[in-house]
Amino acid sequence: MKIAVLVKQVPGGDSPLRISDDQLWVIEDNVNFITNESDAYAVEEALQLREKSGEGEVVAVSFGPERTQRTIREALSKGADRGIHIEDSYPYSSDPLKIATALSEALKEEQFDLILSGLQSDDYGFGQVGVLLGETLGMTTATLVMSTELSDGSLKVKRELESGWFQWVSLSLPASISIQSGINTPRYPSLKGIMGAKKKEIKSVAPDSATAAAQAISRVYIPQKTKKTEMIEGTADQQVKRLAEVLKKEIRVV
Amino acid sequence: MQFSFTEQIALLILTLAALSSFTYEVWRRLRIVLKGSGHFSLNRFGERAWRTFREVFIHERVIRGRFWPGLMHALVFWGFIAFGVVTLDHFAVGFGKPILSHRADELYSVVAIPVAGLVLLGILVLAYRRFITRPAALGKLSPTSGLVAVFISLLMITYIYGEMSPASVVAKANWWFHSILILAFLVLIPRSKHLHLVFAPFNIFFRPFDTPDHKAVNIDLEAEEEELDAMLSDLTRLSKNQALDIFSCVACGRCTDSCPAHRGGGILSPKDHFILDLRQPMLDSGDVNVLEGINVEAGWECTSCQACTFACPVGNQVEKSDEIRRLQVMVEGQVPQQYQKLFMNLQETGNTEGAFSSSLAETLPKFTPEKEYVLWLGCFARFNLDPNFTQSVENYAKILDAAGVSYGVLEEEWCSGDPANRLGEKMTYQMLMEHNLEQLSTVKKVTTMCPHCAVNVGKEYGKHANLNYEMQHHTQVISSLIENGRLAISGKSSEAVTYHDPCNLSRMLGEVDAPRKAIRATADDFFELEESGTNTLCCGAGGGLWWKKEGTGRTHLVRAEQIVESRAETVVTSCNFCYGMFNQGLGPLTPEGRGPVEVKDLADFVAENAQV
Ligand code: SF4
Ligand code: SF4
Repeated sequence: MKIAVLVKQVPGGDSPLRISDDQLWVIEDNVNFITNESDAYAVEEALQLREKSGEGEVVAVSFGPERTQRTIREALSKGADRGIHIEDSYPYSSDPLKIATALSEALKEEQFDLILSGLQSDDYGFGQVGVLLGETLGMTTATLVMSTELSDGSLKVKRELESGWFQWVSLSLPASISIQSGINTPRYPSLKGIMGAKKKEIKSVAPDSATAAAQAISRVYIPQKTKKTEMIEGTADQQVKRLAEVLKKEIRVV
Repeated sequence: MQFSFTEQIALLILTLAALSSFTYEVWRRLRIVLKGSGHFSLNRFGERAWRTFREVFIHERVIRGRFWPGLMHALVFWGFIAFGVVTLDHFAVGFGKPILSHRADELYSVVAIPVAGLVLLGILVLAYRRFITRPAALGKLSPTSGLVAVFISLLMITYIYGEMSPASVVAKANWWFHSILILAFLVLIPRSKHLHLVFAPFNIFFRPFDTPDHKAVNIDLEAEEEELDAMLSDLTRLSKNQALDIFSCVACGRCTDSCPAHRGGGILSPKDHFILDLRQPMLDSGDVNVLEGINVEAGWECTSCQACTFACPVGNQVEKSDEIRRLQVMVEGQVPQQYQKLFMNLQETGNTEGAFSSSLAETLPKFTPEKEYVLWLGCFARFNLDPNFTQSVENYAKILDAAGVSYGVLEEEWCSGDPANRLGEKMTYQMLMEHNLEQLSTVKKVTTMCPHCAVNVGKEYGKHANLNYEMQHHTQVISSLIENGRLAISGKSSEAVTYHDPCNLSRMLGEVDAPRKAIRATADDFFELEESGTNTLCCGAGGGLWWKKEGTGRTHLVRAEQIVESRAETVVTSCNFCYGMFNQGLGPLTPEGRGPVEVKDLADFVAENAQV
């Protein structure tokens, strides 16, 4: 079983985020870059699938600037076998189709049986790259996977639907699925893993720059907080009526 | 009494058989012990000898821990000593060469017969306790213990009978019976927990002075793979001291009785998980690489409080959470999720909270070389783990100001590494330590309010490097400022005050007097909790457990309950973690009608009653 797991490096939630001057991204000094949360679960799922099938390979794949190699290294120290880094430069790509195309260019030769990705990134949150990549490579796809069952040649996954519902889907391989956080208990890189990872290969690939982005970020800004005060007047009945309306329709707490 | 040649040959054969069995079994265990890493230290010889005298001959710990059973045990022990000569003489008589003259034997029996009576009393009371009262700490009924009790009783009875009766066939039979009991005892001892008779005195003598005494783990990230493998496999091995502990254990269960995790309803039983579970694997493998076998779940429950080690009457350093956790983290990579987040924060930002700035540190004076002390804040204070504690830091600052002591905080202070160290993440610990040692390289004196930082920065770092500075906990600084008159006391508070000893301060740093002196100087009505001093009970936050937010155990409530049930109006403590635990914990536990117990750091309490 040959598995690729897509990992993305994102700014840690505890970092102080300040907007860069060009308003396209954040100022990176003082920012802690970490592995996207759901991607960490995808890595663990990939490792467990490899362990269960008893053979195979897990390849950690990341698209991003130089610093992204650290995130690949982290996956390698947890047990992934090698890494592929598709380089990106500032201003960073945000178009999922462009990213998926670049990934598919770099990965098509590899003939993966399975591609795992996190449900969505904690920075842009499009949640599309895994599916688009699967489609470009002619794979079956499923999103929001909460559980996987592998039996020779096919994959059964449990998908999370709205309001507590879920669904079992059977996929033929090769497949690309996106993993929901909490699906497993991610391991911690052991010392041996960390040392071993130093010797593992990370292949760097320059993306095919011919692919033009179909969408781009135009401005990043901190949400504006606004305050609105409404005095409710009238008779007691009118006030109650209006209050109920506000609570129900505007603030939506009842 | 006369013995025929045949009788003497029989006696010789039996004696040699029993002695060889005894020697073989002891040697078998000793050989395993000697495979342990490190060495038995003879440093501070006098102190060791004095300690052995108190703990073995006086039975100090045995009696202090459990008074009545301890005293009964002491009777049996003292009896054994008194019977040493009697027993030697007994066999010498068999071989026709008595050591004691008839007269001497008669004189000695004037003492020995009453002693035999006391031993009998002791052993019967102990047997009653073990087999009738059956306290949970003793665990499953042990048939060997029953056998030993019967043996000792019969030994005493046959001795008394032998001394009182004239030579006759019955007396001869009695003599033989007595001899065979002694020889059977020799066979039994090394195969049971009664081996403590042989090993405990040595174990007490060789016990390391430092508690806890975990091996320092040095990680060389540039090392070759083989070196790393060797280092990691070394982590599964017991030290010689630890190996001797395992064979010295008498299964009394005092460690488990004192364990906060156990008392809070957890699964951890240090007696089993950290000691007895390892004994059979050692015997089976003939080696000491057994640490992997420690129950992992139990290991994560431990608060590293060291109560078990302080309770152990045979001198064991019981706690082994360090050993199992570091294997889980560094070899297995199996780490609970909350701790993974904690470790990541430490690696990325050098502090437990993943924070980028500390508002408290910004309001305090910066350290410059002409100042006397570095005021080491620690993450708890620095990042408001309990916002109320900020005031306690300010109070300590006021005290130092009032006494004219100069101090300042380090801008680049990182976490002392306590949580990483106690949770087994030794690589992160090393990284934090190296950074901090560099920050402290030209510093002479450091003071902190956090005993965890004091233990690590002041003591544990010393296992890796030479420390040029001296670490003083704030209780020590405050108490000496009061004592030498630099801090003027304005009056004494009148509320009922008690003091909770933090484990890291009392058991790991041995400081129980300084905080008491300071409280006595400022309080009229000070009283001790039942479990106090080095006998204190952990608040539940140690060993990294502060960061283990979830969990169903009540480890963190046992001590809080004791405080609420005491007559305290104020509880003073001197550890930010204890402070935080009580601040959260006491309120909900306080029954209706009982006034709230105020939680204060020693700095708060002194500042209220001093001219600051
Ligand atoms: S150190 Fe404390 S919590 Fe850990 S086993 Fe010993 S008594 Fe229990
Ligand atoms: S380790 Fe010590 S305290 Fe615990 S059971 Fe053994 S002898 Fe008793």
